[in-house]
Amino acid sequence: MQYLPQLIASGISIGMIYAVVAFGYQLTFATSKTLNFGQGEALALGGLTGWSVTTWLIAHGIGVGVAYLLMIPIVLIFGMLQGAVVERLGVRQAIKTKSEAGWIMATIALGIIFKNLAENIWGRDALKFPSPLPEAALTFGSVRIQPMEIAIVIGALAMMLAVELFNRRSIFGKAVVATANDRDAAGLMGINTGLVIAFSYALSSMAAAFAGVLVAPITTAGVSSAAVLGLKAFAVAIIGGLSSGLGVIVGGLILGITETMTGYFISTGYKDVPGLVLLLLVLSFKPSGLFGKATIKKV
Amino acid sequence: MSNKTLLTIIGIALLVALPFFVKSPYYMHLIVTIAIFSIVTLGLDVVFGYTGEVSIGHSALFGIGAYTAGILAMKLGIGFWPSLVFAPVIAALFGLLLALPALRVTGPYLAMVTLAFGTIVQILINEMTDLGPWLDHFNLTEGPLGIKLVKPLFIDLRGTVPLFDMPILRLKEVEFYFVATGILLLAILVINRLVASHIGRAFEALRDSPIASDCMGVSVYKYKVVAFVTSAAFAGLAGALFAYSEQYIAPNTFGFDLSILFLLAVTMGGRKSRLGPVLGAAIVVYLPNLLADINLFRIIAGLIAVIALVSGAASLLRDRSAVRGVAIPVVLCLALFALSISLTTITDYKLAIYGVMILFVVYYLPDGIVGALKKAISTVKPEWVRTNVRIEATGGAGDAFVAPTSSAVSGSTLLDVKQALMQFGGLRALDKVDLDVKAGTIHGLIGPNGSGKSTMMNVLTGIYVPTGGEVLLQGENLAGKKSPEIAARGVARTFQNVQLFGELTLIENVLVGLHHTYKAGFFQVALKTPLANANEQGARQRAASILSFVGLAELANEEARNLPYGKQRLLEIGRALALDPKLLLLDEPAAGLTAPDIKELVQIVRKIRDHGITVILIEHHMDVVMSICDTVTVLDFGQKIAEGKPASVQANPRVIEAYLGGAAAAAV
Repeated sequence: MQYLPQLIASGISIGMIYAVVAFGYQLTFATSKTLNFGQGEALALGGLTGWSVTTWLIAHGIGVGVAYLLMIPIVLIFGMLQGAVVERLGVRQAIKTKSEAGWIMATIALGIIFKNLAENIWGRDALKFPSPLPEAALTFGSVRIQPMEIAIVIGALAMMLAVELFNRRSIFGKAVVATANDRDAAGLMGINTGLVIAFSYALSSMAAAFAGVLVAPITTAGVSSAAVLGLKAFAVAIIGGLSSGLGVIVGGLILGITETMTGYFISTGYKDVPGLVLLLLVLSFKPSGLFGKATIKKV
Repeated sequence: MSNKTLLTIIGIALLVALPFFVKSPYYMHLIVTIAIFSIVTLGLDVVFGYTGEVSIGHSALFGIGAYTAGILAMKLGIGFWPSLVFAPVIAALFGLLLALPALRVTGPYLAMVTLAFGTIVQILINEMTDLGPWLDHFNLTEGPLGIKLVKPLFIDLRGTVPLFDMPILRLKEVEFYFVATGILLLAILVINRLVASHIGRAFEALRDSPIASDCMGVSVYKYKVVAFVTSAAFAGLAGALFAYSEQYIAPNTFGFDLSILFLLAVTMGGRKSRLGPVLGAAIVVYLPNLLADINLFRIIAGLIAVIALVSGAASLLRDRSAVRGVAIPVVLCLALFALSISLTTITDYKLAIYGVMILFVVYYLPDGIVGALKKAISTVKPEWVRTNVRIEATGGAGDAFVAPTSSAVSGSTLLDVKQALMQFGGLRALDKVDLDVKAGTIHGLIGPNGSGKSTMMNVLTGIYVPTGGEVLLQGENLAGKKSPEIAARGVARTFQNVQLFGELTLIENVLVGLHHTYKAGFFQVALKTPLANANEQGARQRAASILSFVGLAELANEEARNLPYGKQRLLEIGRALALDPKLLLLDEPAAGLTAPDIKELVQIVRKIRDHGITVILIEHHMDVVMSICDTVTVLDFGQKIAEGKPASVQANPRVIEAYLGGAAAAAV
């Protein structure tokens, strides 16, 4: 049991990554009731783009820390563009024709295409990402924590906070909230809801790409585990409730900690299982999530 | 002999002759794989095409079938034929598990559930190499190493017929071909019968309107489970065949990519048909060959580009304004051709090409190849194409009703609502409402918008569970019962915003209402037993009678979504009558109807009452309410403010106040 604090500490940082990706699911679901089934690939692409930019900068004589900071805005823009592409090619038409199977299949297809292109550009093997912070762990009592793990928690919270503030304070954010509440009414009030949806996709992929460069220094960058990661983040979004703001943080922490525990007490081969089982259980028994409100069906 | 039987016989003859013309073992194997994949895609179509749910977990069900066969052979020495029984049964059990979340969720949620299920199964196959000390460290699946099997030789036919004098390996392959295609034909037969039956109609009904299905006594959950289990059983069966056909199985085969391939096959071939999924399976199995040979791929890409250019030009000639719509696909096809010229190797881009194909199909072939062909043919020869089964049955309007079995004596209380309370958060949509509906009467329920009329309907039919109070139908409390259970007790309804099964024909809509008259189950439908035939004949006759009663007989084989609004409302009444209800709830049946239509409606409602069916009528047309209702109850803000004979209610000052406001009431 003396490992328990250590397992919890390690679980928190990975949990925050899930929370950011899950937050991305919430953004698009709120405005358009659609999801990007290629969200995991968006994270992987962000990590890989970040890797290319960082290594290029380092090769040109810039220090690791500065290179990492310079890379972040580039990756954020890249993420937004990637999200806009997904919305344009995968979602817009399907929203018009109200075809649910249409956007599900189209975003899956785009995920496959992105994954395959990434494999051809960066190779199938995971890449070692240069760490901007010292890799030596800090010791707190019996718990050892990497500086990057702390950076992940801070970065993840900052990202979610920034988007929330944007939505609550700015006039464009109000358009997003209005569209989320009632798309038709928002449209009648002169809000370009199509643009809002495209924007929510851009933000969603941006969040995922950011999560990609946050996590890459302590894991690696690569597309091989992208699909499973996207699925586990969906589990977090469901646990937290697809419409309940910051429930994803709690969901992320629950999943992150459960996972490190499973890896330690059972086998690392099974570490993806609890998240998926949790997804099945929550959807079977409380589909509105642990923190979401049940909706009333109208007839 | 009809054209159809002739075509079937020719088709089967071709299939029997095929292995003697295809000498290459490679192509023989490819054809067997197509047959096996077809069984999966036909099964997937039951879920995807008919119930409309996207499953990304079918490769796992396929894998479960394959591993059942593999484990039985390797660990227990149980051979081919028993595994054909075990594999579908085990896969069906997993399908049952997979359908459990379907109780609560649909659409993207269910797609994610199936994806998670598929991933878990793949992890389990990889990891279950050591079942722990309790099970003696049993190695169930051999993990990533995979399992080897041996293709069986069924009968040694060498030396019997000259035709079968072939090397033993080829004989095995030929015999396996016959077994696999035989099973495929059987699968087609069973699925054909299933989707044409009341079970298939239930699948489509729950896709088009889950709420209406439940209220017609067709439990959405039950039939989703039936669809998933059936689909899983076919996937499992195909898995067992696949294991023996490949003679080696490993966990990586049964991943996400394969599920996507199955989905691609069904969408590209064409949903809701038998030919579509088979065609799709043939394409996805053959595709890797196409992609392995860059020159062949270039030729095909060139052909596609030419076709795109020609059809693009043709549609431009027809409609000059279509430039934007036409430009994108044409440019995409040209880009594909340019890409095929520039690439030196293509296998690395296989997945991206699958992805592009899915996008293309989603955008430009939403009904698949078969759907597009049907559309093209119907512009030339409409009578050759039909999407729905044509049902020829005739029945007189007089046979629309069965003799009432209801024990309710006219004038006694049929429905007794006591202190019904329905609370949504802080809002009381129904505030302790009492309602006493006498058998054999038409009971009006009126009130301004938002007064709780529709909420009352939803409470009565189990869509809402009341927060408090009792709903007694002939003394039995319905509060807390689910919609299908309430429907089975004889409560039918129509909906304020029409909830028809749009893609079903009129007569099929009524047949869904008659679902309760079918006694035959799944296996009786599959075997086409006399009981199943008798049920279907009886129900068709009855449905035709009901359609003539509501005056829609000549439109019996039209799709419901093509009906004008007024007729849709009449069809809803017909469908509700099919339930043989004791109590019929009509929610604003005259809304949006023209004056002559309303007259017809009033006649119909009167006739329904004369047949002993009690009616609760919500309506805003006061002339209708006042002329046909025996009793009227008025609701306002969730409370009952008046009740009595139409005339007395009309004169009640509280009612006038509710409708016209306090000042108007004072002026009167």
